[in-house]
Amino acid sequence: MTVPRILTLGGHEFSSRPPDRAVCELLLRLASERAGGRPRICLLPTASGDTSEQIASFYAAFGERPCEPSDLSLFRLGRRPMALRDHLLEQDLVYVGGGSLLNLLAVWEAHELESILSLAWREGIVLAGQSAGAMCWFEAGITTSSGRPAPGAGLGLLGGSLCVHYNDEPERRTAYLDAVGAGMPAGYGLDDYAGLLWEGEAPPSAFTARRGARAYRVASNGDGVLESPLPARFLPAPAPATLREDIAEFRRITAMRKRAGWLG
Amino acid sequence: MEKVPRQIVAFGGGGFSMESGNPLLDDYVLGLCRRRRPRVCFLPSASGDADHYVVRFYRAFPAERCEASHISLFRREQGPGDLRRHLLEQDLIYVGGGSVVSLLGVWRAHGVDAILREAWRAGVVLCGLSAGSLCWFAEAVSGFHGAPRRVEGLGLLPHSNCVHYEPGSAHCLAYRDLLRAGMRPGFGAGDGAALHFVGNELSRVVASRPQARGYRLELRAGEVVETPLATTFLGDGAGHGGGMAGGTATAVAA
Repeated sequence: MTVPRILTLGGHEFSSRPPDRAVCELLLRLASERAGGRPRICLLPTASGDTSEQIASFYAAFGERPCEPSDLSLFRLGRRPMALRDHLLEQDLVYVGGGSLLNLLAVWEAHELESILSLAWREGIVLAGQSAGAMCWFEAGITTSSGRPAPGAGLGLLGGSLCVHYNDEPERRTAYLDAVGAGMPAGYGLDDYAGLLWEGEAPPSAFTARRGARAYRVASNGDGVLESPLPARFLPAPAPATLREDIAEFRRITAMRKRAGWLG
Repeated sequence: MEKVPRQIVAFGGGGFSMESGNPLLDDYVLGLCRRRRPRVCFLPSASGDADHYVVRFYRAFPAERCEASHISLFRREQGPGDLRRHLLEQDLIYVGGGSVVSLLGVWRAHGVDAILREAWRAGVVLCGLSAGSLCWFAEAVSGFHGAPRRVEGLGLLPHSNCVHYEPGSAHCLAYRDLLRAGMRPGFGAGDGAALHFVGNELSRVVASRPQARGYRLELRAGEVVETPLATTFLGDGAGHGGGMAGGTATAVAA
């Protein structure tokens, strides 16, 4: 699949709660569609400063799923040198965690990652992320990187702007409405557990993983700023039992292969 | 108005980050402050503001010795709102280790690079180890990921720098290659050694370990010349006062 795809989420965690499981299932499905087989999924935890918590929760969510998870920690490369470009371009999905949008882009720039991610996107590697990791793909977003919510620039792979944690953080939403009214490019507001999937040039499709979470189109109409909820598909959470079966099956196959000497 | 000296103490490695139980380098930089209970601010940016690192800083710089604070550029919603004001109020700014490339990127994004230059000129003592040493120089050897490579630092000191320097090591060989390829002359500092600059010039080399050394590296007639520098071990009651013989860096052996 070579259609460029980006999955942007207003906010979520890698927990075992149902809406988080639904989001992980979607990430896994998108990655698998590209891979054909066992997908490679890489976490970029840069926006958090590569915290152990973010990295551990990612592995807790994907470590026992049918995929090859890895993380690329730009603050920790000293302990585990890695060829950034080669590693990223081998992935099926690159997931960007939340944190400081300003620091995320500054550190990517320092390590010359923007051009690699842009190439990955054009090659059909799914780009995904939540919070700062979602806003970074747009022209602009509303970030708390400097304290109070304020406009910040993104990479601009996607036109327009994004505001995350939309109804979850009223101060951020207000800052967004003000910014769009003052000339920031129109865009979208995403509640926690609401997301947009961008495929090629088509308008994005909205989904939610939690009842009540919504995605909004936010645009200025001359008189003021209009906020229109978008029709969204509900993503049901996979049952934990099914998950356990998957894991058990995967482990059986891995064990068999190992015994047969097919792996490592 | 009295002219305050501009001071930078660049550790090749050492201090609380690397030498648990050996406070000699940290004591040395605290001793450069004029106040009896100096204000010390820790910048852990090169580590991504790792929590455990911040905790270790506060343990090493307890309230009875100094007025300690830190700035996390990943959590600006906490901590001082006015970075410039806070940093200019300090006696000592202590920069932790990690990735110098990431460090410089984050500092630029928050305008901390310009504030540190201003603080240095105003007499705030700047220090740090590893990435927190490389950052002050015009050019540096970063060995943080993959092959060692040339990195441009803030350029407060018009020299090059290589940390964790041991003669004959991979780092040392990379530094030599870069010098031959046109990197400006400069200094290598081993783990436990610290280069103390006053203004642009090296004033003395001090060490927390008896064998730790600083080195001058330069190109002479196309060849890299490494000159070990007279290094004062801080552990035998040496400590403060006096510079090197003659006030400049002197070779003890060639």
